[in-house]
Amino acid sequence: MKSLTIKELMVPLSEYATVPVGSTLFDAIQALEKAQEEFDRTKYRHRAILILDHDKRVIGKLTQMDVLWALEPRGKDLKDIDELNRFGFSHQFVRALKKERRMESEPLKALCTKAAQLKVEDFMQATTEGECVDEETSLDMAIHQLVLGNHLALLVTRGKDIVGILRMTDVFAAVFHTMKECELNP
Amino acid sequence: MNELEKLFDRIAQRVNINLRELEFDVTPYIKGLVSFEKMVKFYAFYGVTPHHPLNFVFRHSNLAGSYFLGRCRTGNSILYKSDIRGDELKKQGAMVHYQGFDIPISKDEAIEIEDSFLIKTLVHNYSHDPETLELFFITNTISTHYANIHGSPTDGSFLGPFATVDLTTMNDCVIGAFSYIQAGEVNHLKIDPGTVWVRVPGVFNFLYRYPREALSPYISFEAGKAPRGALMDFVENRKKDFQLLFDVVNLPSSIKVPQNTSLDRFAVVKPKIHIDENVLVAQRAYLENSWLGKGANAQENCYIINSRLAGNDITAHGAKIIEADLDTTVFVGFNSFLHGRPESRITIGKECIIMPHTIMDSDEPLNLPPGHLAWGLIQNPADLEKNSIRMTDLSKVENKLSRGDLYFEGNGATFVRAFQERIHHILEANGAFFDGQKNRGHAQKNQNISFNTIQPYPEGDLQGMYPTILIQP
Repeated sequence: MKSLTIKELMVPLSEYATVPVGSTLFDAIQALEKAQEEFDRTKYRHRAILILDHDKRVIGKLTQMDVLWALEPRGKDLKDIDELNRFGFSHQFVRALKKERRMESEPLKALCTKAAQLKVEDFMQATTEGECVDEETSLDMAIHQLVLGNHLALLVTRGKDIVGILRMTDVFAAVFHTMKECELNP
Repeated sequence: MNELEKLFDRIAQRVNINLRELEFDVTPYIKGLVSFEKMVKFYAFYGVTPHHPLNFVFRHSNLAGSYFLGRCRTGNSILYKSDIRGDELKKQGAMVHYQGFDIPISKDEAIEIEDSFLIKTLVHNYSHDPETLELFFITNTISTHYANIHGSPTDGSFLGPFATVDLTTMNDCVIGAFSYIQAGEVNHLKIDPGTVWVRVPGVFNFLYRYPREALSPYISFEAGKAPRGALMDFVENRKKDFQLLFDVVNLPSSIKVPQNTSLDRFAVVKPKIHIDENVLVAQRAYLENSWLGKGANAQENCYIINSRLAGNDITAHGAKIIEADLDTTVFVGFNSFLHGRPESRITIGKECIIMPHTIMDSDEPLNLPPGHLAWGLIQNPADLEKNSIRMTDLSKVENKLSRGDLYFEGNGATFVRAFQERIHHILEANGAFFDGQKNRGHAQKNQNISFNTIQPYPEGDLQGMYPTILIQP
């Protein structure tokens, strides 16, 4: 596997779902749908949207979890509840309060309508140095980085630019393929 | 730089080292908060009574305007206008019951203050920590205006103005302004201003947090600035009334009080005061045009103005009662601010509990019915409805209560019972139940205290420092 580079496995940025900063969550979901339609349907589906700044540089990513998080009730009350653990309140107590607040909040359809208009930058995860990997890096080193950082994907760089995404699912497929080869041709 | 300035820097450094994990720098908060000139200006004094062990050791300290009673030791500390009241310390031979253990007290308990800077702080009660029953220590700690360290051994901590730590061992914590903490033991915590937290682990947990923007008109404390707000204005506006008390050594009592009542000579008493039997009025209390019925008390830094306390009412340390009528056995917790107005008085029914650090401040009359518990910020009748509960209803809570900014977990009946027992204990300790022979308390024991003054070096490198002084029987 040492001979492989991540260039062969990454999804090029041009094939990935991206939206500019200032877009709504609905824009992001539409971009995801569009990218998926244009993407090779035999491959694993995209699960995130990249957020670009005005210079078209990647500044963050929006995962499925981030979009679902936008549906969660929020406000000072919820923030206060989140802090109760440090004052010695039990997890059951905090969970029960959150459940109550969820029951008191609007139905899912109304929440989805509201959430769709929220801005991506309020929910995205900003890119960090630890999730970037140079395109010339060998695959075994990239795996090391994925595992240590507990990442689902790495952003592949060429110089200062992000040029693609190395997804865990594609890495796993490559590893699985190699295992099969070894087993069949020891 | 003279010795006092060096001592100030040394204390700040030691506290900062303790609070480095919280990334809290005390220096901008305390620099200039009390001028060195003032630290030099005031004498310290101590009480002598036959009822309390006499044992003072003052070493390398500045004690400007501070008061000491009981067994107290200070070292490398600055105590500015603070009350170190050791009249509830445990005596040798006493027994402490703790989680099934009976722990004998091997020697008289002492308050020991080392490497600390206390500003207008009250230190009272006794150590509730079973690991240090004979020593109520305060080390590497800074507390600011009108803080209370009550039965709480404390190390490496910072208390904002009007903060209270009650029956809690505290290590390396920052307690924000007007916060009240009674939680058994707290370590490495930074508590926001206006947090009221009462917890017995595994039994109950009461937490109320003032909305910050609503609290700041009452008290705010920022780095580089003195504490500000209505609470500070209220006490500062009455500062001059205390001045005369401290300027004169022998001051005859302004009013006649019953034989079983204690009216401290360092309390302000302004006209039209009625003080009944078994009443305790502590030093630095302020009474004006008010009625204190039998067994009522006004503890340190309390203000009772244009009000009536029917009897057996507790005004805990720092509480303020203005234009209010309290029926019997009402508990007004630490630093509470009951701010009625002539046209909108506050009425508190029989056996009510006003939680520590409660603010009642309304343009409309407020009426709390008997047997209720109230908490937090109450600025109108609707707030009172939200921030109060009938104690019989609270007693029915078996696990969870959430109302506005209040969160309560645990058994409501146990919480109510714990408060009621403590109220009974406070009344007992203060001598409210004295019948002429039995149940003697502070109201009876704290009469006829002799006050002696001690003074620092008037000039030179040691200006402001008190010489090492040992005072023993």
